[in-house]
Amino acid sequence: MQLTGAQIVMECLLEQGVDTVFGYPGGSVLNIYDALYEYRDRINHIRTAHEQGAAHAADGYARSSGKTGVCIATSGPCATNLVTGIATAYMGSVPMVAITGNVSCGLLGLDSFQEVDITGITMPITKHNFLVKNVENLADTLRRAFRIANSGRKGPVLVDIPKDVTAKKYEYAKHEPLPLTEPKFPYPERFEQALEMIANSSRPFIYTGGGVISSDAGPELKAFADRIDAPVSSSLMCQGGFDQADSRYIGMLGMHGTKTSALAIQNCDLLIAVGTRFSDRVLCNANLFAKHCPIIQIDIDSAEFNKNIDVDLKLKGDAKRILARLNELLPQSSRPEWMDMAADWKKSYPLVQEAPSPGAVTPQEVLKTLNRLTGSDAIIVTEVGQHQMWAAQYYEFRRPRQFISSGGLGTMGFGLGAALGAQVANPDRRVINVAGDGSFHMNCNELSTLAQYNIPVIELIFNNTVLGMVRQWQKLFYDNRFSQTDLDHNTDFEMLARAFGVKAFHIAESDEIEPVLKQALALREPVLIDCRIDRDMNVLPMVPAGGSVEDPILEM
Amino acid sequence: MSYLDSSKEKEYVLSVLARNNPGVLLRIAGLFSRRCYNILSIVAAQTENTQFSRILIVVSGDDRIVRQVDKQLSKLEDIEEVNVLDREKAVVREHLLMKVERNLQNSEKLVEIANVFHANILNVEPDSMILELTGDAGTIDSFLELYNPYRVLKILRTGTMAMMK
Repeated sequence: MQLTGAQIVMECLLEQGVDTVFGYPGGSVLNIYDALYEYRDRINHIRTAHEQGAAHAADGYARSSGKTGVCIATSGPCATNLVTGIATAYMGSVPMVAITGNVSCGLLGLDSFQEVDITGITMPITKHNFLVKNVENLADTLRRAFRIANSGRKGPVLVDIPKDVTAKKYEYAKHEPLPLTEPKFPYPERFEQALEMIANSSRPFIYTGGGVISSDAGPELKAFADRIDAPVSSSLMCQGGFDQADSRYIGMLGMHGTKTSALAIQNCDLLIAVGTRFSDRVLCNANLFAKHCPIIQIDIDSAEFNKNIDVDLKLKGDAKRILARLNELLPQSSRPEWMDMAADWKKSYPLVQEAPSPGAVTPQEVLKTLNRLTGSDAIIVTEVGQHQMWAAQYYEFRRPRQFISSGGLGTMGFGLGAALGAQVANPDRRVINVAGDGSFHMNCNELSTLAQYNIPVIELIFNNTVLGMVRQWQKLFYDNRFSQTDLDHNTDFEMLARAFGVKAFHIAESDEIEPVLKQALALREPVLIDCRIDRDMNVLPMVPAGGSVEDPILEM
Repeated sequence: MSYLDSSKEKEYVLSVLARNNPGVLLRIAGLFSRRCYNILSIVAAQTENTQFSRILIVVSGDDRIVRQVDKQLSKLEDIEEVNVLDREKAVVREHLLMKVERNLQNSEKLVEIANVFHANILNVEPDSMILELTGDAGTIDSFLELYNPYRVLKILRTGTMAMMK
């Protein structure tokens, strides 16, 4: 069957099971958008307000569903607008395929209108990228792009297609996607060694990361923790990877982790790290991290072994399969004293946030109320800053893909786009973007996308009129010199939301929390809540720069 | 971090087999620069199979850095295979072209040194000559040292090539 390049793009998306894409039309993708028009009954296209929003939406779609996120942009500035979104997906190991148009082959390299070397620009932030100069290679290149995005450690792939390639015709035949090749399994000796290390340990501690979620290893992780009878902590990227209502769960580990996790790492005699890369936000001071105990690391990317920290045993592979194998081999063991210790700490060091004045709103109360009203079942997306940590601390995540956050790159402005993507992928769930007023100001344009497509995301802004996290650092380390962190904007968020056609509420007193949240949750349309909080609320616990993860400060 | 303070810095030769796709050299060079690895020399050319290039990279660092370089390089889609070569078990060669100033007084001496090293004289002009030498890096260094007293106008070194025995 002879098809144009643009039609081949559509057919290849369908081959991969893609039914939703996010993007923005323009000159070099006119043919692709013409084909989208033709395929509109099979491929749903969401046009965002800005290409960055499209990239974050594809990312949120992928993180919340496990499917590949797809975004489309035209050449030049539109392609560069994707860059932050692609980098965010790269740092989060999120499977994404970004399709960009480019000027026709004959105009490449001549500084033509809206020409940019997007493959050159995105080389360091993609797993791989392609410039397709021949229509004969188009279908196979797209198939490879999806394969690369989903194999091993997942990540974004960019395919740049010059305009003339989308117009040229070529023979197309449908191909079923090939199954992904499984990574080689570690040698049996490695498993034996792991069993021995676990058998010799009386206080093992499990620390989990985003790899648990990308490999769908939730049930295997739960079985493993039960089998060895150990407490479990999660990095920011693994919120919900382990049921937080489970008594084994002792909170987040790292810079804003719980005191219980800090004590667990201080007292454990074996650390088992699953699907995590020992980010500097978890290690804090790498020279002071878990020096007294051996470490087992399970990861799919062997470049993560001995990168930030030396480990004693490496198990390379998909976390789900490795844990399943360990569960087969491990005898049931019981460590009641150790579990009691963890339970006591948990009781002694709960996370609490005191109201700065009577009746003042605390994020803890808002998020706990939200948690209760949504039955711990909502998808919580975040921007980056204090509110992000509060969301991780105070909402109770019970299943994987429930917490969507830019933990690796730390992209302010990520949340609203990601939330709309997550809502499109999960039409039956409540999606709430927890934001700060700083982050909201960055990409608030996507409210228009929510309104246009009636995507019922709740935008919950913790509005403290400062860049709270930076301010917190300025308080701790810069002698209260608040350089450029007072926002003092006069933006009326409610009026702004209404201008976009989005319903809006505010919360200014603690007794407004529940009624407003109930009102917002009762609607099935986009809603903004301006939740006003004191500018000097801090994220605690906190490990100051250079400090040990074992020794967080609890008040300031 | 502690491994960066390590004093055990030495040179490693990496032999990389890469698919001959556009931009492959940029992908490799970009990876080195963004991860702060040091390239001392790089030699790239097509192999007997024109779909592949063999790239020889000399890196300075310690064992840990070289293991990271190896694993990060291996993750690039266009790279087929990475080997860290053991210098003892490999033939290691480098190629040198040198232009040196020549006059009636030094001419004989210049040729004499070249003969000791079995270097080739590729071109002779009234006021200069071009010499060629192939050898390991040490041989080339001592060759250059002997020409130090004379006026060397230009040198070109290829960087290290290596092949396992």
